[in-house]
This record gives sequence, structure tokens and C-alpha cells, in this order.
Amino acid sequence: MVKKPEIKTWKDIAVGGVVESGTAEYFHTGGWRSKVPVWQKQNCIQCMTCWAFCPDNAIKVVDGAKGKERGEFDYNFCKGCGICPEECPQNNKITKELKAKDATLKITPSTGKGTPGFDEKAAILFVGLKEAKDKYNIK
Amino acid sequence: MEKTIVARTGNEAMAEAMRQINPDVCAAYPITPATEIMQIFAGFVNDGKVKTNLITVESEHSAMSACVGSAAAGARTMTATSSQGLAYMHEILFIAAGIRLPIVLAEVNRNISAPINIHCDHSDTMAERDSGWIQLFSENPQEAYDAMIMAPRIAEHKDVSLPIMVTTDGFIISHGMERLEMYPDAEVQKFVGEYQAPYNVMDVDHPITVGSIVLQDYTFEFKKAQHEAMKNAKRVIMEVGKEFAKTFGKEYGLIEAYRCDDADFITISLGSTAGTTKTAVEELRNEGIKAGLIKIRSFRPFPAEEIAAILSKVKAAAVFDRAESMSNQAGPVATEVKNGLYDAGVKIPLASYIYGLGGREIFIEDIKDVYKELKNIADGKSKPEQAKYIGLKV
Repeated sequence: MVKKPEIKTWKDIAVGGVVESGTAEYFHTGGWRSKVPVWQKQNCIQCMTCWAFCPDNAIKVVDGAKGKERGEFDYNFCKGCGICPEECPQNNKITKELKAKDATLKITPSTGKGTPGFDEKAAILFVGLKEAKDKYNIK
Repeated sequence: MEKTIVARTGNEAMAEAMRQINPDVCAAYPITPATEIMQIFAGFVNDGKVKTNLITVESEHSAMSACVGSAAAGARTMTATSSQGLAYMHEILFIAAGIRLPIVLAEVNRNISAPINIHCDHSDTMAERDSGWIQLFSENPQEAYDAMIMAPRIAEHKDVSLPIMVTTDGFIISHGMERLEMYPDAEVQKFVGEYQAPYNVMDVDHPITVGSIVLQDYTFEFKKAQHEAMKNAKRVIMEVGKEFAKTFGKEYGLIEAYRCDDADFITISLGSTAGTTKTAVEELRNEGIKAGLIKIRSFRPFPAEEIAAILSKVKAAAVFDRAESMSNQAGPVATEVKNGLYDAGVKIPLASYIYGLGGREIFIEDIKDVYKELKNIADGKSKPEQAKYIGLKV
């Protein structure tokens, strides 16, 4: 006989629904995207403006040859808002003479491939991150 | 205990209570007729009589938002507003209640536009009845002062942890000067005690997330926990009221039953009108009519069983509503009273009246006429009407 999973009830919720910090990491919101920004590394001057303006944490900083530099998008969290190409100083240099292919950041239609917006992990997090960490082996 | 007898308006009384409580943070934006509460309190801040961090903000939406942040950061937090200001807080009121922050709001009941009118009715407060805040009504400055002192104890109680609004009637109480018994600062501070924070977002050694997204999985359970807290509030309001009586000598409950024991006819009202009704009750008693009054002090949580138990013994009753709910049936108070009667299996003739919108006066004679109508209803001479406008130019 299959053992019924233990379901947390309303009595188990901390006052005000307070949970441990950092739970957003497990709540993937990239699935909401209707458009996808694409980064063309060869045109990037590494000014980090896009990183500063990103309303989420979808632009990663990585270790490069000269120290910290812009890395790829983390599409688990990019909602395709379009702020990064709007703020990109390289993009803003594009005139009639320069073609769109020179853009550092361009918005493209969504491929339909997204990350799941919500998974069981996120659900269980609400009633106790510690338990969820154990259950899903989250470090 | 040495009580000081002074003359104070409702706004002054509320500001004095705030001075004695000495909250950590106040964030407010001015609006008639509540402006004066914060204006007087700002004087206390300026004069160093309180250690409160007073934040002046650009709107009521921002005021309540700042209060939410402050209370979540472990600070006892208060504010004051009225009418459109309360309406502008609407969105954040639900958040404060949902994340269970025991903010104290001094609310002065005033008409909601349109038409633009700065005077008293209960349309602003009634519009927030579903926000999850505890709502206490006051008959006079003394009750407002006392309720402000009890408010942090009720709101911060671990079984409650909900925000609370203490209301007075705009101008009638807020600007009406009456006799006020003030208690010594030290006694008030002892009664109120240290802030009991539900959690502290500024505790960097124990980082937490407040206000996280919760979807189909646990929103329902979240709301149930809030629902139970409001149930607990009923008990805690009475407990704190009893403790208040031990310290300061006057007991408060969810309702005040005034001359109800042998009453044939009862009216139900809240706020300043209950005071006017007491005079009407005395005059009717002298005329041989057994009149009584139920004054509702706590509208949220609503004392349905307590009211139904009293009404089960009367021949007829009437409810006074100082707000419209445009339901074509009755005002918000009458609707709640009827709910309670149905659940208690009490079937009595019950009339409901709308009065006093936008500060229209209600006189002792108007109220006495209602009792006389109740007698006619009980005698079978007329039928109870619903949402009947009284004091109207017709």
C-alpha cells in the first residue's frame, strides 16, 4: 500500500506566511516570457549596464579573463521585459547606417520553450524550506 | 491611580494616547478630519516627548506601505487617516492584515466621495470591513483614548497578530471637546508593554522572506490561518478589556448593552449616535416605553452571537446604519445583525435605517420616533421597513 504523503495544513503555516530567505531561487518565473532577449557576445563592451538594470537576477556575472564579466542569461528568471536592450549603450549607438545584426542585445519572438513557472519544490517551500531542502536534496 | 481630568477633542485624545504609547514609527499623510492627530503628535516628536521616528510621506498609499515595512522590521507602528486617505490605503490594508502586522490606525470616520463632503459617516470604514483589520468604534473621546491604549495589546497578542483601526466620528468626536480622564504615562506604558513583533525582517542573523508568492498550493491555508486569528480576536478584545478594567477602572467588551435587560424595543448603532440614543432611551423610559440600546464597539470581529442573544428577548428591533452598501436591502451593520439572527434561529421584526450620511444630524427626537415605530410594528400597526432613510428632505 502506498504511503500517503504527509500534507502540511493551515496550522503549520508560520504567522503571516513567513518563510526562510532565498526561496525565489526555486521558483522559476522564466516560463512567463513571451519574448526572448538574445546576447551577442562579440558586440558586448562589458559595461554591465544590462546587469544593473535587470529587474530580476537573469543576467549572470561570471569569471572571465580580465576578472568578473557578463555571462549568459539565466532564462529560468528572464521574463523578457526588454529593459536590457533598451538600456544597452551599444544598442543605442545603432543608427540607420548600422544594422540590427550589430545589436548586442536583441529581442526575438519566444520559441515557446520555457522553464516551468512553478514546481512542487516551490510549493513545499512555503511550509518549510528545511524540510524541502532535505526532500529534494537542495543545497 | 491618579487620573487627570482634562478637556480634549477626539483627535487630541488619540494623539495623547499615542504620546503615552510612544510608538517606534509613525508614517502618515494629512487628511481632514484626521490631520490634527498627526499634527499634534508631530509636536510631541518635535518637543522630544516621544522617541518616535515620524515619516512624512507623499500619500496614504505610501504611508501604509511605510507602516508595513516598519512593522515587519520589528517596530511598533501607528498611523492616522480618514475617508479618501483610507480608501487610498485600501490595497496595502489587505497586505498588512495578510502578513499579520499589528499596525494601529487612528481612523476618523468621514464620507467617501462623491459628493465631496468632509463630514461624518461610516462609508470609509465600512468599505474596508473585508480588509482583515480589527475595527473598533468609539462613542466619545474617552472611548477613543481608552481603545487606543488597548489597541496594541489586542493587535500584538500572539493569537491575533492583526492590524487594528480605532475609529471616531469625524468632527462630532474628532473635533468635539469633552471631559477626558487621562491616566499617568507610566501606567499606560506599563499596560501596553514592549512591542510584540510577529517576526523581524531586519534580523540579519535569521533572514526571512515576508510576502512571498503563494499560489493554489497554500493561499487557502494562509487565509484560514487569518480567519482563525480574527476569531481569536473576539476573545482577546474581551480579555484585554477585562485587564484594562483592573488597571484603569472601566471595562470594555465587543458590545455595550445599555438598559437591555428588560427592554421590549432595542436599536443598534455604533459611534457617536449611541451616545445620543442613550438620552433617547432615558426619555422613553420616563414615558413608559422599555427602550434599550446595543452599541457595537467591535465591528470586526463582529459580535453576532452576543447581539442575537439579546435580541431574542425583544418585541422588535432596529439597526442604524451610517453607510450605504447599495444592496437595496440594508446597510452593512443591519446585514450583519440579520446574519447573526438567522444563525441563532431568532425571528423578530427588524427594521433597518440609513441616517446621517455626510454629517446629516440625527436628533434625539429622530431616534425616539424609531422606537415609537418599533412599538407600532410590535402592535401589528405597521411593518418593518428596510434601508429607510431618516432625516431626509422629502
